Amino acid sequence: MSELSNLPSQQDAIVAALALYPARPFAVSDIGSQTGWLKAAGHDPRNLYVSGPMGLATSVALGLAAVRPNEQVLAIAGDGALAMNLTSLATIAGAKPSNLSILLVDNRVYEFTASVPTPTKDLDWLAVGRAFFGEAQCLRLSELTAERWAGVERPAMIVADVAPAPGKPPALGMTPAMIRAEFLGAARR
Amino acid sequence: MAEAASGGDRLFRSIAAAKPKLVTGVPDGMLARTIMLCEASPDFPYIACAREEECIGVACGAAMAGERAIVMVQNAGLLNSLGAFATMGLRYGLPIVVIVTNRGALADPNGYDIEKREAFDAGVRPMARVFDFDAGDLPDDLIPAAFKWAEAARKPVILALEKRLGAEAAA
Repeated sequence: MSELSNLPSQQDAIVAALALYPARPFAVSDIGSQTGWLKAAGHDPRNLYVSGPMGLATSVALGLAAVRPNEQVLAIAGDGALAMNLTSLATIAGAKPSNLSILLVDNRVYEFTASVPTPTKDLDWLAVGRAFFGEAQCLRLSELTAERWAGVERPAMIVADVAPAPGKPPALGMTPAMIRAEFLGAARR
Repeated sequence: MAEAASGGDRLFRSIAAAKPKLVTGVPDGMLARTIMLCEASPDFPYIACAREEECIGVACGAAMAGERAIVMVQNAGLLNSLGAFATMGLRYGLPIVVIVTNRGALADPNGYDIEKREAFDAGVRPMARVFDFDAGDLPDDLIPAAFKWAEAARKPVILALEKRLGAEAAA
């Protein structure tokens, strides 16, 4: 793992991952850090800010990918969050959605909970992703270009080591009704 | 005379009549026949989840896009998923249909099911609308009616299916 001071921020990693796509994918973010940093990275109607239990973004993204098979979907999960729904990787590997990817942002702490270290802080997430999706389908964000990403078969996983933020992201500032209505409009276009 | 359809076949036909975009679940013996029919259906995908809480997430992802989605789990599975049900289904007002096999009924007295049923009554009924049915005698229009109710109410609906004394085999 790189020196923490050399790592990108979570917001920068999200921006970089979204930039790998030729057109804006649907982005489904876990509650807390991922939702806050996705919004801070630039609000878009195609952002789905999940208010559910930590880790559910991968499952929500799978459902969205299944009903929008011609759209790309990117689930954004933290290491603490994904560890709470690790079985979703098995489900996604079994369902084989050809339009779903996961961005795993690994800051090794529960950022919204006083930055308590996660139990997965020493876990090799690249190896975990490769166990479920295969070696060619799980890559580090730092190794990817848009051209290379376009050729990666889905489902796929991107692992991004990120620096713990000094504070929480700005508040979301949207009610559930606002999130639902705006996303529904984008998903129906 | 044509042989009467099993409860599992009738449930599948009612699901298909509602034209869902997605069905997801975790198996229970009472749902096995319906799940196999859903997996074979060319009309919608069936997503087999490893854990029940995922099913709620999967269905809510489809519902956020405005599509009909159905969850099929056992009562213990829904109990595992109440956080997701509350913070996604209820919070966003998503009209998903959750079919729950409510094990531990008078006609279904496995010792390991009794507390599941009591926990279902104590934990689920106060927070969500539950409609109860005899798994062996399901109305043909059950699932279309459930969607109509959920879409009007703008919230999830739970259909609790149980074995009843004197009823035919559910599956």
